[in-house]
Amino acid sequence: MRTLLKKLSDNRGISPVTICLWIVVLAGLAVFPKFVDSPYALHIMILLFLSTIMGESWNILGGYTGQYSVGHAAYFGVGAYTTMMLMQYKQIPPWYGMWVGAAVVVVVALVIGSICFRLRGPYFVLASIAVAEILRLVAMNLKDFTNGAEGILATEIPPFKIGETVVTDFLSKVPFYYIGLVFAVVTIIVTVLVQHSKLGYYFQAIREDQDAAHSLGINLAFHKNVALLFSAVLTSMAGSFYAIYIGFIDPPTVLALDISVQIVLICIIGGIGTIYGPVVGSLVLVPLSEALRSNLIAQGIFKLGLASEESAVGIFLKEHLAHAHALIYGILVVVVILFMPDGVLGFVKKLFTARKRENA
Amino acid sequence: MGAILEIKHVSKFFGGLAANSDVSFDMTEGMIMGLIGPNGAGKTTLFNCITGYYPPSRGEVLFKGMKMNGLEPNKVCKLGMARTWQKVRPLAKMSVLDNVMVGALCRTNSLKVARDIAMEQLKVVRMDKKADFLAGGLPIGERKKLEVARVLATKPVLLLLDEVMGGLNPAESEEIIQLILEIKKAGVTQMVIEHDMKAIMRISDRIVVLNSGEKLAEGNPQEIVTNQAVIDAYLGSEH
Ligand SMILES: Nc1ncnc2c1ncn2[C@@H]1O[C@H](COP(=O)(O)OP(=O)(O)O)[C@@H](O)[C@H]1O
Ligand SMILES: [Mg+2]
Repeated sequence: MRTLLKKLSDNRGISPVTICLWIVVLAGLAVFPKFVDSPYALHIMILLFLSTIMGESWNILGGYTGQYSVGHAAYFGVGAYTTMMLMQYKQIPPWYGMWVGAAVVVVVALVIGSICFRLRGPYFVLASIAVAEILRLVAMNLKDFTNGAEGILATEIPPFKIGETVVTDFLSKVPFYYIGLVFAVVTIIVTVLVQHSKLGYYFQAIREDQDAAHSLGINLAFHKNVALLFSAVLTSMAGSFYAIYIGFIDPPTVLALDISVQIVLICIIGGIGTIYGPVVGSLVLVPLSEALRSNLIAQGIFKLGLASEESAVGIFLKEHLAHAHALIYGILVVVVILFMPDGVLGFVKKLFTARKRENA
Repeated sequence: MGAILEIKHVSKFFGGLAANSDVSFDMTEGMIMGLIGPNGAGKTTLFNCITGYYPPSRGEVLFKGMKMNGLEPNKVCKLGMARTWQKVRPLAKMSVLDNVMVGALCRTNSLKVARDIAMEQLKVVRMDKKADFLAGGLPIGERKKLEVARVLATKPVLLLLDEVMGGLNPAESEEIIQLILEIKKAGVTQMVIEHDMKAIMRISDRIVVLNSGEKLAEGNPQEIVTNQAVIDAYLGSEH
């Protein structure tokens, strides 16, 4: 066991402490549903996994390669739509459909890459937004194909069988919990492997200085497209998972700019270009968005006596705070960028190193 | 010995400005070519044309007899021609070692091999003790040395150095001069842009002088210091 740990850490630069922490956390997450059967708690955990998958996926392109795509809804949405349409219209179960979705996304990503990677910096960002918006409009308007603005409702998910034994019928949240968990772990492992490979070095070199990277023998177009493919395929898987879990998709929920922005926020808030940044970002954003949705913040304000529920301010808060996502996220981003330019994770790390130095 | 690099009638225009006009010269294997000229003479532009950062507007560049026009910088690097940047370009958020490894990965797919090559090159520039430092935090002298270590790691046969002594103190400059001579001993052909005339006279086998984009003179150091046109150009621009 010790030699195995040592080998892992030698090859990949991962410390044995990290590996042990991983094992403990994973064990905890694996038994979580055995002890907690509240569907709401499971739901929050599933959203955390989903958010982590989305953040880690974006991070490969945005965080490591420095290509700030604000159009990842394209890959999320195309994945979601492909899987959903295959299930509803062709009776193809989602665990096959999602691979078709990934394949479609590969094609979409190559097309988007060939357009957007001609551009650098803010022009790339704008192009990525534009292309994703085009896809949303297509999905809205191709009514015969996508059911347009009405969206698609999953009527039933076929049970998952191995041979004749039904492994799960997807009637509770537990199977989704485990699928999401495995998925999130796989995405993190992919990121770690990429980071500690030649690809990872090349991605980061491109992020730091494209011209320098180019002159050191790095094929820019090729490596940006590889990063995009990793990122897009993983994002499409998140989209497929979302579609089946929620059971309903329409253009505003899977193809809109909101989704793209949210994916970027997960990373900005947690810490761009780090393995655990998206996890931390999800731990901040998912509870926050749930609190907003269920008006917990307004209730908290009343409880604390900062405003009374019947006052004009109280009524205003109750009515509008739940819809103030954009505003609150905006404030959060400003605070993070001003005070924690390396995200929450970077901020905490800095605190620790500062303390260590003081102690030394 | 044949020419390793042939520059034939290279011109580069930026709008109406001729940053290089009709520049021609050859380099033989193993030599050090000094490239000098006042600021704005077009030295960096010539490097950019040679290494594919942009194609020359006219003329052509032959490396080991191959036409290089329109070849992208990454392919040029793979063929064995590497350059440093006058305005250094450290990969700021990566460690010193990782910077050099990126260069080394040009010749290998193995991180372990790349790490060994990189450590070796850091020893060559005497920066192995700084391997774990972030490149962005280095002082200018060390950034310049890092720039050199990084291109050396790509194992070039022709190395183009753009003012690697600019902004350095005399001790650091001397270190770089020794380094250039060591690189020459290892058999690497070099073209060196430098403002320090004493240094360039010491290290160069031949010198090309550019002025307003044109080649003003070419010869060995002795010929250059006694060339009237060169003296006039330098006195004209610096006094
Ligand atoms: N990308 C560019 N666009 C426009 N003008 C440029 C560009 N690069 C260089 N120049 C101009 O070309 C001339 C030569 O510049 P450069 O090659 O950098 O000179 P040197 O390296 O000899 O100091 C200068 O007048 C400079 O302003
Ligand atoms: Mg210059």
